[in-house]
Amino acid sequence: MTSFSRCAAWRGHAYLALAARLYLAWVFLAACAHKIADPAAFAVDVATYGILPLWGVNAVAHVLPWIEAFAAAMLILGLRVRAAALLVAGMMATFLVALSVALAKGLDMSCGCFASTGAAEDPISSLTLLRDGAWMALALYVLILDRRPLGLDRILDRRRIP
Amino acid sequence: MTLRDLLVATRDATLVAVLAVAAAAATNALRDAPFPWIAVAAYDLFVPCPEPLGDAKAVSPMEPIVRAERTLVVDARDRAAHSDWHLSGAMHVPFDWIDAVPDEAVRRVAASGAAAVVVYGDGGDPDSGRELARELSGRGVRNVHYVEGGAPALRGDGHPPGAGEVAP
Repeated sequence: MTSFSRCAAWRGHAYLALAARLYLAWVFLAACAHKIADPAAFAVDVATYGILPLWGVNAVAHVLPWIEAFAAAMLILGLRVRAAALLVAGMMATFLVALSVALAKGLDMSCGCFASTGAAEDPISSLTLLRDGAWMALALYVLILDRRPLGLDRILDRRRIP
Repeated sequence: MTLRDLLVATRDATLVAVLAVAAAAATNALRDAPFPWIAVAAYDLFVPCPEPLGDAKAVSPMEPIVRAERTLVVDARDRAAHSDWHLSGAMHVPFDWIDAVPDEAVRRVAASGAAAVVVYGDGGDPDSGRELARELSGRGVRNVHYVEGGAPALRGDGHPPGAGEVAP
């Protein structure tokens, strides 16, 4: 048995991952609320990055917050946790690329991650990259090492196994 | 995690994305003014101005604080207006309606050690002095005031030129 396998087999991951899941869920619920309430404002944030073609900006502003909301709910409930972690990791990877491009362009802008505050209050920086990188690491931890997540997944598994 | 686990997670994530599209469509349909799914015109990304954030007290041109020894006076007008006339010793921090005040300028004001900051602008409506004062206040500068009526009020208050003002 390799050291990774031994580490992966540790039962305590479910509890550490639960803390990570609840934290990520809190972050994403906080992030999605204002975007769902005001997609027009979020669309301006999306457009400011200058990455998406114009026809894709509003669609992303509509759909992305709901993906964040569903992923957060799944992480809290422990339902299809791997799918939720995969979504979170995928979103964080996308945000990291977008932020890197914006920083490379020298854009003086807000990240648009939470309630729109404007560049003067919440400018993007290397710290934003670090923060998103940490969230992505947490999502990958849940995805890879939370083999039997606490929550509905575990309850449903018990019912399936006689 | 096995390859099969990853494939199942990908399938579930795709399903969630489809549900998200449906939820977004349903929510949008319920809005009073549905937001279009495809933008019809490019976003004007140069419009958003840095909004002044803090509070600043209005003072009249005659108030002692304007010319107090430990007051830092800031001229928010453009270069031409500043060159034409300004209060002696006034720090020039031109207010721009589009761009935020540079960090360096805010640092200069904050590092002045003044007990109070009094900003005057063009006295227009809106007044650049008031807007700069509010932005400085919002960015951490304490005890910020602005002169009601701006530079025109300061010049017209009977204060003799040469005793504080710099005129061409």
